[in-house]
Amino acid sequence: MIKAYILTVTYAGKMEKILKEMRKLENIESIAVVAGDYDIIVKANVKTLEDLMKLTDKIQSIDGIKRTTTQVIEKEIAL
Amino acid sequence: MRIRKKYLFYVLLLISSLISAAVVSIDTTISYFFIKNPWVFGFSAFLAGTLITLILSLILSIPIDKRSIGSRIDPSFSRLRLVRKEEIKYHIIAGLGNAITTIGYFYILSIFIDPSSILPFYQIVIIYLLIIESVAEKNAPTLVEIQSALIVAFGAIMASISLTGEINLLGLLIVFLIINPSWALFSIYQRKLKMLRIDNKNNDAINIRFWNLVFTTIFTGLIVFISNRSYFFESFEVTMHYMHYLFISMGVTFFSYVLYIRALGIGKASTAQAIRASTVLFSIPFSILISNYIPFSLYLTPTLLVIKIMGLTLVILGIVSYALTEVKAYIFINIRPGYSVEKIMDDLWKINGITTIAAVAGKYDIIAKIRTRTLVKGYERIVRKLEEIEGIRNFTWHSILKEWEEI
Repeated sequence: MIKAYILTVTYAGKMEKILKEMRKLENIESIAVVAGDYDIIVKANVKTLEDLMKLTDKIQSIDGIKRTTTQVIEKEIAL
Repeated sequence: MRIRKKYLFYVLLLISSLISAAVVSIDTTISYFFIKNPWVFGFSAFLAGTLITLILSLILSIPIDKRSIGSRIDPSFSRLRLVRKEEIKYHIIAGLGNAITTIGYFYILSIFIDPSSILPFYQIVIIYLLIIESVAEKNAPTLVEIQSALIVAFGAIMASISLTGEINLLGLLIVFLIINPSWALFSIYQRKLKMLRIDNKNNDAINIRFWNLVFTTIFTGLIVFISNRSYFFESFEVTMHYMHYLFISMGVTFFSYVLYIRALGIGKASTAQAIRASTVLFSIPFSILISNYIPFSLYLTPTLLVIKIMGLTLVILGIVSYALTEVKAYIFINIRPGYSVEKIMDDLWKINGITTIAAVAGKYDIIAKIRTRTLVKGYERIVRKLEEIEGIRNFTWHSILKEWEEI
């Protein structure tokens, strides 16, 4: 199991549409709208790196996404 | 993504309360028809409870698709294991707390004709928890937390109080000086157990519940033995005789506690306690159900009805205000060269309010997720602590405005 954070920056005014599209995607653990350098933080949970690539591809092709940065999780401590 | 959770914590606790409302009605039925002596009932419930919990935990340890069945209830669970050395002192305190609470509860049942005028004051335990948390966990409650806790506690008292019984000073003393403090210990130490890390993994609720029952049974047995030997021996006979009823009651209780303990790992004991007060709400349909076969004072005068509705409204309002005043954020951390990421992750894990820490490959080194009641507290309890960690070069805070999560 591979987990990763996909940090995305969006164009202004497209947020609702992007979220609607994103919520349909598979292999996503959480979607958070944030305030700061990024606009949406997606936590992905995929089987292989190839699935991760497919997911980031899908996210990048959503209309309104400006750019994405993917941070692959090496170790995680969670409640 | 089909189902989304907003607050797993609340879902766990609400289900736990629903189950425990069911348990109360099962227990009422058992004590009305079969086991009339409350002391014997209490001890035999724990005896049978340990056995059924052992059976259930073993079933939950069976792996299906390489994951045990129990890991669907608590992802940290793999299988039933022996109690660890580092857990024992917490289990002793939690077990003692549970035993004293139970004995106190049964004592009140046995000396008062109408305990329903006294038992609602159990809810005041929230105040104890708030005080303990602010002292022991250095986690001073915010105004919102105090407000919501009191709203829920008073609401629960109003909703469950009966006007037929007199409020008795001795009963109140037992509740305030014996039952509530020991219950507070019980929840605080169960939370400590859940927060322990065993074999580099989080402790799981199923093992905690099983071992808590073992310790509680020992302490309850001791207390019953000292106070009345004939009850002690009678309990074993009763356990054998009514095994099936006790199995149903304690088997259901098991799930209620496992969910409760799991929730304790996510949030504060006081908040968990407040949401558990919603048992008052869920108990209404069960009370109506058992009033069919147990002559039971369900009669309501208009005044009492108004008080109960006000109480229930307060409970709901308090829980909602808890749920809505939560601030979550992501913190992106870069560390200085030459510092161990693992060491910094361990340091971060000690900070109250950090719920997830991930070492990542990419622009940042660590991404932490935090949860706090207010931004001020986020600064005082988290940002200040982060600044004290030497290896951290810089960090950026991203407040979460809205979030969807997969259950």
